[in-house]
Amino acid sequence: MAARRNNPSGIVPTTQNIVSTVDLDCVLDLNHIALHSRNSEYFPKRFSAVIMRIKDPKTTALIFASGKMVCTGAKTEAQSKLAARKFARIIQKLGFPAKFRDFRIQNIVASCDVQFTIRLEKFACTSHGAFSTYEPELFPGLIYRMKQPKLVLLIFVSGNVVIAGAKKRDDFYTAFDNIYPVLAEFKK
Amino acid sequence: MATFELYRRSTIGMCLTETLDEMVQSGTLSPELAIQVLVQFDKSMTEALESQVKSKVTIKGHLHTYRFCDNVWTFILQDAVFKNEDSVENVGRVKIVACDSKLLTQ
Repeated sequence: MAARRNNPSGIVPTTQNIVSTVDLDCVLDLNHIALHSRNSEYFPKRFSAVIMRIKDPKTTALIFASGKMVCTGAKTEAQSKLAARKFARIIQKLGFPAKFRDFRIQNIVASCDVQFTIRLEKFACTSHGAFSTYEPELFPGLIYRMKQPKLVLLIFVSGNVVIAGAKKRDDFYTAFDNIYPVLAEFKK
Repeated sequence: MATFELYRRSTIGMCLTETLDEMVQSGTLSPELAIQVLVQFDKSMTEALESQVKSKVTIKGHLHTYRFCDNVWTFILQDAVFKNEDSVENVGRVKIVACDSKLLTQ
């Protein structure tokens, strides 16, 4: 899989966090899981899922009684799948007939540095203002909601850009390719 | 009044439980009385730790495992250092079981 580097700057955003879900396809006894597994928390009055963490890859899973599981904290898609498989293995070892159904990546967060400072106020005032929310008193970053692909970019004066809401790696590469020339326009 | 039965797992609590079991087995003590003794033991332990223990200890170590279930925290620490006012103790492995004291007063 060739990395999309058609960006003239040669800057490629790096993934920081991946959120994925998988269906273990069986009903789970959360009390049993919490009692017999390491590094888990279960406080039903606060949240009706077991919160389990593993060290490698360093991830956290939310395991629900219905058999659905959310896996967060991995840095790459492959690590997220591996982590989800490790969690499913733990559930299997505890005696539940866990399967690995419908693994889906729900959210990818990536970040990068465009290496120049950006004039956010000017940015928000132009035609791109329709997509931007810039309220420096509330939050120092400009919130850019891109329509195609549908995701959110946080653009900071320092030149750091955070891209969130992507479901595929290509989405955020495209988003960055789209936003880079626009940002270059507003270089300080 | 609900009591925390976790002190029964300490060395002194285990000895008490064993002795009471022997007495119940041999018929010297009735089971209900044995249970009453254990409940009184729980209460006395709680009271003694609350009123008679004044020292504060700092425990620092590498957290190997943690668990939170039924409002009980269980931690397993490795290479822990127990620092008292005047003494320092190094322990290779320590298990900490903690119950929420708010539950007692409910």
